Amino acid sequence: MSSIYTFMLMGGLTLGFAILGMFIWGAKQGQFDDGDKMMGGLLFDSQDDLNDAINRENKREEAIKKSKEKSNES
Amino acid sequence: MEVKCTHCHLEFDEKVMIKEESDPSLNFCCNGCQGVYHLLKDDGLDSFYDKLGNNTIAPPLKQDTDLHKFDLETFEKRYVKITDDGFKKIDLIIEGIHCAACVWLNEKILYQTDGILEVNINFTNYKAKVVWDGDKIPLSKIISKIQSIGYNAYPYDQTVSEKKATKEKQDYFIKMMVAVFASINIMMLAVAKYTGLFTGMSADILDTVHMGEFILATPVLFYSGSIFFKGAYYGLKNKIINMDFLVISGASLIYIYSLFILFGANGHSYFDSATMIITFVLVGKYLEVIGKKSAVDTLDKIKSQLPTEATIVIDGIKKVISLEEINIDDIIEIKNGEKASVDGIVISGTSSFDESSISGEAHLVTKTNGDKIISGTINLDAVIRYKVTQDYEHSTLNNIVTIIEDSLSSKSDIENQANEMSKYFSISILSIAIISFFGWYIYDGCFENALVIAISVIIIACPCALALATPIASLIGVSWLAKKGLLFKEAKYIETFAKATTLVLDKTGTITKGKLKVKENCTKLEQNDANILYSLVDSSTHPVSVSVKHYLENKYKELVHLELDDVNQIPAIGMSATYKGMIVFGGKNKENNNYENTVYNFTINDKTIVTFELVDEIKENAKDIITYLHNENIKVIMCTGDNEKVAEKVAASVGITEFKANMNPIDKSNFIAKLQQNDEIVIMAGDGVNDAPALAKADIAMAMGNGADISIAVSDVVVLNNSLEAVKNSFYISKRTYRFIRQNLGISLVYNLITIPLAIMGYVIPLIAALSMSLSSLLVVGNSFRIKKD
Repeated sequence: MSSIYTFMLMGGLTLGFAILGMFIWGAKQGQFDDGDKMMGGLLFDSQDDLNDAINRENKREEAIKKSKEKSNES
Repeated sequence: MEVKCTHCHLEFDEKVMIKEESDPSLNFCCNGCQGVYHLLKDDGLDSFYDKLGNNTIAPPLKQDTDLHKFDLETFEKRYVKITDDGFKKIDLIIEGIHCAACVWLNEKILYQTDGILEVNINFTNYKAKVVWDGDKIPLSKIISKIQSIGYNAYPYDQTVSEKKATKEKQDYFIKMMVAVFASINIMMLAVAKYTGLFTGMSADILDTVHMGEFILATPVLFYSGSIFFKGAYYGLKNKIINMDFLVISGASLIYIYSLFILFGANGHSYFDSATMIITFVLVGKYLEVIGKKSAVDTLDKIKSQLPTEATIVIDGIKKVISLEEINIDDIIEIKNGEKASVDGIVISGTSSFDESSISGEAHLVTKTNGDKIISGTINLDAVIRYKVTQDYEHSTLNNIVTIIEDSLSSKSDIENQANEMSKYFSISILSIAIISFFGWYIYDGCFENALVIAISVIIIACPCALALATPIASLIGVSWLAKKGLLFKEAKYIETFAKATTLVLDKTGTITKGKLKVKENCTKLEQNDANILYSLVDSSTHPVSVSVKHYLENKYKELVHLELDDVNQIPAIGMSATYKGMIVFGGKNKENNNYENTVYNFTINDKTIVTFELVDEIKENAKDIITYLHNENIKVIMCTGDNEKVAEKVAASVGITEFKANMNPIDKSNFIAKLQQNDEIVIMAGDGVNDAPALAKADIAMAMGNGADISIAVSDVVVLNNSLEAVKNSFYISKRTYRFIRQNLGISLVYNLITIPLAIMGYVIPLIAALSMSLSSLLVVGNSFRIKKD
């Protein structure tokens, strides 16, 4: 009987610590540094904004690729 | 009828609004708003107005047209960094942001610009990080883009201390969240454990629960609690028992005892108490850290630019160089509105200078060929060229900065009440615990029982309330002060403020407004003469002309702007023009030297129509505020660099009995040191560069928000609205907050006086210990909320 409780407890704690670990990763990346941005994030969730975000990432990767090609050439 | 501007949403009378024929539903308060609205519409960004909602924003700011400095090599070397990918990166502060929609707009419009790769604007402190391809777009174009939508941006140097503060905040945040997470879960397990105390629980289930508590408590003590271990260690190194020592010794002893229980000894574990102590106190510390950071961010926002470059003239060609590159005998040119960066002697040109920041004198000083220029003073009138006599390192401005740095390192910290108490508290509790242990051991011979009681005494003594007493009250005090326009850089200054005995006030800019105002004059001008004078002063930006213009606008109705011919600005003298064949002049002439104040003569065809005298006006309610301070037993002394006559007049008019005149920056600093030697706790309030050394020396430094950057940087408190009323508020709020801090400490003491006897008598079970911890903390926090009065 008590082994079930032990299992439940350990299972719960493992899950809890896994979530805590993910939180710490996010915090170290700086995702929680700007409290207001996090809370006001609703304003930035429209389809246009999400498409923009993808385009920006692509733009950045292209620019990095081009600059690498340039430096290889020179 | 009032209508809203379509862009900024501010309301104005419909009659003054700009309307468009193509769309009558649009209303604009100014050309700026109209321009930005169409720009956004053309770029497809008008969803900005949906995001803005009903919020208002400020109309577009006046643009700084001199953007080429952003592309200069010296500028790049100082502010622009290169990323690993070879792109350029800069930190900017964006001015004019009011809400999330503004941040969205700035990010969007910059991302749409070709060449900009990354834009990250922080909502809270308006700091932006921009990464761009230097080959595709210059920085000046980026700034120009931000200005085109009505905002402004200026670079800021992310100092090492700021990076440290950001990292510290992040570190505290993570540790606090780990502690909070563990506390929440431990409390759930504790419910099971306490219920089991009353209804019965089998030993193996109790062991499982203990194991769970142990797994949760361990990271809290060693990871989150590392902050307290470090604080206690540094305290002990300096032979001080501080709050951190109290907290960590209590938590550690409880943890070690609970470990014994976990590994088989009889009794109750107290892992939940150990966790809660750490969590409560850590939350208090975190609130202090974010308070500190937000103070620093606010200061960055109000900081204006210190001169970092100068224009030198070599063989007739002008070149912009950084301050460090200036050599003696270089020729420097300064335009009107610019600050002199180094000391020198004028070689060509005549102009008026504002030396109030350095000398304290409010009246303008004329400089011409052969006169000395002091670094840090502002050129008002015309372009001047001067020969450098001291390089930047040895100039007056930098000398003052060096003196300040020396003063700051020797500044003493007035210990706060809680730390003083914690010394006695720790020793008392440990003594009581040891005495209880021996008492019970001798009484019934049972080692375990005696140990449990000794541990209970330590647990119930709960340092939470003691540790929270000061931070919570200080924070509420600080936020109340912030609403009144006072920026306390650290919450601990509240206590020092409350204990202060003496206030030293600067004159110019602190007691007086620092701006010249026309003294009330009996001469009534004829309407035509008033119109001519108004038209003459309207064409100048010189402070004296602006003061005369404001005076006329207040005194005369229906002033008409007339067309004057041959308008000519004579530097350091005044303005002349012609109107319908008459020669019109406004300014000073030789006879004016007999007056002690600045004088403005208005003549038509050499006949004096009126003479205005300009004085530095005293701030509103100054006299009442000085009276209030005297009633609170605060000694008020005025120290100024201005002459004895002016000082005496100002002191008498506000009710200050003790004053010192003709003081240079070092004199002021030495005067404060002398007061401190007589055990006075000194608060210094000032604004100019000449106040900075004294500010650095004082126990609390208060700078006026529109004062010199050095004064603001060196101060502990910044008065954002520049009013003397704020000085009165700071005393009132600080004293009230300090009273509540002492009440909180009293509450925690009384609490302990009730609960420690219970522990000594053996009545404390873990449930009581946990509840008492929460209750005492709640009492202290609840009491602190009573501080603020509307």
